[in-house]
Amino acid sequence: MSWVGRSIRRVEDPTLLRGVGMFVGDIGGAAAVRFVRSPVASGLIRAVRGPAYTIEDLDADGVGNIEAVLHRPDYVRLAQPLLARERVRYVGEPVAVVVGDTAAEAEDLAEQVELDIEPLPAAVGIDGALAPGAPLVHPDESDSNVMVAGEMATPGLAEALDRAHAVVDLEIVSGRQAALPLEARGSHAVTERFGGRTTLHASIQAPHMVRTVICDLLGMPEADLRVVAPDVGGAFGQKLPLAREDAIVVWLSRRLGRPVAWIEDRSENLMASWHSREQRYRLRAGFDAEAHLESLQADVVANVGAWPCYPITWGVEPLMALAELPGPYTPEHYGVRSRGVASHTCPMSPYRGVSRPAITLALERLMDIAAPRLGLDPVEIRRRNLQSDFPHTSPTGLRHDEGTYREAMELAVRHVDLGAFRSRQHVARAAGGPQPGIGICTFSERTGYGTPAFAARAMGVTPGYENVELSMDPSGYVTVRIGASPHGQGLETALSQIVADEVGTDPGRVRVVASDTDRTPYGWGSFASRAMVLAGGATYLAAQQLATKLGSLAAEALEAAADDIVLADGRATVAGTSVGVDIAELARIAHHHTQRLPAGATPGLSVQAGYDPAGTFSNACHVAEVDVDPDTGGVSVRRFVVVEDAGRLINPMIVDGQIRGGVVQGIANALLEEIVYDEDGNILTTSLMDYLPPTVAEIPDIEILHLETLSDATVTGAKGVGEGGTIGAPAAVLNAVNDALAHLGVELNEMPATPERVRAAVRSATGTPAGPTN
Amino acid sequence: MKPARFAYVAPDSIEDVLDALDRFGDEAKVLSGGQSLVPMMNFRLARPEVIVDIGRVGGLDGMSVVNGSLTVGARVIHARLEAPTGAMPDGRTEPLGGVLGSLLPEVARFVGHLPIRARGTFGGSIAHADPAAEWCILARTLDAEMVALRRGGERVIAAADFFETVFTTALEPEELLAAVHLPILGDDWRAGFCEFSRRAGDFAVVAAMTAVRLDPATGAISEARIGVGGVAGVPVRLPAAEATLVGEVPGAEVHAAAAEVAAGEVDPAGDLHGSAAYRRDLVRAMVARALAQGAGAPG
Ligand SMILES: Cc1cc2nc3c(=O)[nH]c(=O)nc-3n(C[C@H](O)[C@H](O)[C@H](O)COP(=O)(O)OP(=O)(O)OC[C@H]3O[C@@H](n4cnc5c(N)ncnc54)[C@H](O)[C@@H]3O)c2cc1C
Repeated sequence: MSWVGRSIRRVEDPTLLRGVGMFVGDIGGAAAVRFVRSPVASGLIRAVRGPAYTIEDLDADGVGNIEAVLHRPDYVRLAQPLLARERVRYVGEPVAVVVGDTAAEAEDLAEQVELDIEPLPAAVGIDGALAPGAPLVHPDESDSNVMVAGEMATPGLAEALDRAHAVVDLEIVSGRQAALPLEARGSHAVTERFGGRTTLHASIQAPHMVRTVICDLLGMPEADLRVVAPDVGGAFGQKLPLAREDAIVVWLSRRLGRPVAWIEDRSENLMASWHSREQRYRLRAGFDAEAHLESLQADVVANVGAWPCYPITWGVEPLMALAELPGPYTPEHYGVRSRGVASHTCPMSPYRGVSRPAITLALERLMDIAAPRLGLDPVEIRRRNLQSDFPHTSPTGLRHDEGTYREAMELAVRHVDLGAFRSRQHVARAAGGPQPGIGICTFSERTGYGTPAFAARAMGVTPGYENVELSMDPSGYVTVRIGASPHGQGLETALSQIVADEVGTDPGRVRVVASDTDRTPYGWGSFASRAMVLAGGATYLAAQQLATKLGSLAAEALEAAADDIVLADGRATVAGTSVGVDIAELARIAHHHTQRLPAGATPGLSVQAGYDPAGTFSNACHVAEVDVDPDTGGVSVRRFVVVEDAGRLINPMIVDGQIRGGVVQGIANALLEEIVYDEDGNILTTSLMDYLPPTVAEIPDIEILHLETLSDATVTGAKGVGEGGTIGAPAAVLNAVNDALAHLGVELNEMPATPERVRAAVRSATGTPAGPTN
Repeated sequence: MKPARFAYVAPDSIEDVLDALDRFGDEAKVLSGGQSLVPMMNFRLARPEVIVDIGRVGGLDGMSVVNGSLTVGARVIHARLEAPTGAMPDGRTEPLGGVLGSLLPEVARFVGHLPIRARGTFGGSIAHADPAAEWCILARTLDAEMVALRRGGERVIAAADFFETVFTTALEPEELLAAVHLPILGDDWRAGFCEFSRRAGDFAVVAAMTAVRLDPATGAISEARIGVGGVAGVPVRLPAAEATLVGEVPGAEVHAAAAEVAAGEVDPAGDLHGSAAYRRDLVRAMVARALAQGAGAPG
């Protein structure tokens, strides 16, 4: 029986559940680093007084700037200093840094640092940053706040819209959100007294990339920096880009010759770590008489904050929106302008789903709004529009491999029993009180893309491939060294299942080594739902090579043909016989009796493989049932159903865990979490009293059903599944809220749908204050 | 997120606590359950020089029934009010009955989360004086009396005089809040409580408590109290809305009319969690619902 496909327990869990994990904050033995951050959104630095290091100290040491990595004519290229130079551009921007013996003392020292800043007007929000005469975020480099602008249109778009049977206009808004990992960011650096080599432990997603950029900044060889991501308490994209703070921690440890650590606190994390998602989409959609979405025109603006993020750039949100907006639909004509606009607010990084929660919200609201105008219900309009011919090539040239867009929806709708829901809803409408609503969301999730996809973005640093080194030691155990950097997803477990099947051992005899640049091959880390596809693919290929080696060893030992050797249950046997040898015995031979190896064979059992696919699309349908209280605007999610097609499921339990966690973040995006700035650029949400992640009380059970379309675009047949939950849930919830209040004429296209926004929508639709309140 | 330097004392008698408060005056802060004070110190919003921990003092965590009122010791944790008991004049401890006996658990479950209710104290909440705190709303609505001790003296402060503004009470720096007297409410009272918060366990955006007394002969309301939190610096009573109820027999229309007056009577400021207009809407909904709740069977 194969290990792949089984929900074996995660090898990661015993450590974490017993509380013996090792996070950056557990390392200890270091002086405490604290950053002095700008209290104003925009201003000129006149002076910094007190016991602190500033950009002048970095400059004096020859520390470089973070260079732009995107090469496009429509992209403003900037060099970013590690601490603010001359200007501050957002509340929370690091201006100076202090070192104290304890965290409390470092905070005392930071209070003694006086920042003399001449405040300037700030550009806040999309409209604020785009307004004529808006304060410029980078006045020396650009005469507008538009930092990246992509545009494309297929020929004939305007004519198609003109002749459309029905045209629907729609604006959706996504509020600014934070990824909010349970463990905030942090780093710890020690420099050896002799030799001067530095070890950085940091809570990050891409250790090799961080090593490269820090070494470039500090002018040191990569051989002299070891970067380790120990246990990481959640990341979700926020720990993918270089943290300026981490580079400074390395610099301080080298300069001071003492171990130093920066442990970000929650306020810093909310104020000055990366944000994401502040976007606005304006759509114009043309449907033909059969309700096919024929033409789609979009204007997208993403507020990208004050600085780009390295190496993902501040094109990540707007350019993904441009490329992926058609989603699971098949408009023949597509045109889009997508801009990234800078503002005096915290910079943006990718957050689980990146632009797709907003893309999906736009498309799925579009379908629900268009349906009644075309005399259809939400299921039928999607039935007529979802992709069903594969491979499908999108108007922007993306190849969708086979998926189950329609099937997933049909299954979800059957599972929830839409008919029964509608009768309950009918009764509730007559009775008053909380109003039930149901929302459907169908979407695609582009996952597991390698170098070709990134190369299309014209980046100076092109991420993509993954390498894996695999070796069997003399005891017959397999060590897998990967460039990906799992941080809680369960990748170690899933890879061990793949290896176990290929080399005929069990997962308990497989060890995965990751997240340490000294012990792993160069790779790109874990992000973009890529690790299972890429590291999994490379592991699979390497394991096959190892199996081949073992096969030829066994053939030699058993005097059989290599093709007849079967590896299973820890033994190599001659097919159809009981003649065999333990794999552990083969491992001994390979290392200790190399005189018995086949002629020309290399001693030992080490192989390596790389994998770099073009990418694959997962798909899913989410259905949310909510109750909406029209008097308070309060929304509670009663039921949530996911039908997911993520290709081959290596470990279904782990896949379900990914989906559940993602859906929770999606519900949070839909209803609760929002980073808010006032008009002067002061951030108002700097604690968990104001930024509101859901508690278990706000989340219903999440029911998950699977379809399994084996991908022909990946060697394992698996597709990525890390982001889907977050992508689909907001639209499902917003559609449900709208459905609940449809009889009042409410249309709400902004997330989060806070109680106040829902209540305001009820008020403006009904023109009256509360109805009966009992 | 680390507090500024402070000194810490933990006396084991009330006298020593009062001495310490007398000596350090406004440099000192009493530490009770720490569920509000410690976060404020970590944010450095509170920077006391001296912390006077009252956790070792005996005699502050009793609940007793005397002369028609329940006396709640300052160090009674929130969780105990989920199933309130009282020491009776004859010394026995009994579950607290009556209207107050069923109102307290109804309210207690809205105070934070279980871990907070297991540490945070009734007196701490009253002394902290958050305008949306359930116990402050209850104290104001029921006209509770606060017992304040100082070295060599004691005074009783009426709820109407106690809450001055956000996080500010009539307590002097030298004073310790020792206990709160709550009226038991006779069987002719009906009480209700309703709040709206963003998530389970959050402070209310708006909360309302209502208590009406019914004339046994006519069934009409003879006395009415409406208290709301989340609309001003302190929990407020709404006399105009209360007045609309007096003389009326409880019912949906009467409640709606009072709720409408209540919504007009408050003058909230807007903030991140709700604009002024939204808070008025919530007052309308919460007052009507609290009244409806209280219109059910007697406590
Ligand atoms: C996540 C979270 C959620 C919460 N949600 C709610 C909620 O929904 N509703 C709610 O009401 N509260 C809520 N709280 C606050 C909680 O109820 C606190 O327990 C309460 O506000 C203060 O009580 P304490 O015993 O913890 O007091 P402390 O934090 O110890 O003290 C609070 C203040 O009162 C003073 N003080 C305390 N005792 C005395 C005394 N005997 N005499 C004089 N001064 C005194 C202190 O000096 C300090 O200024 C929440 C707290 C948290 C952390």
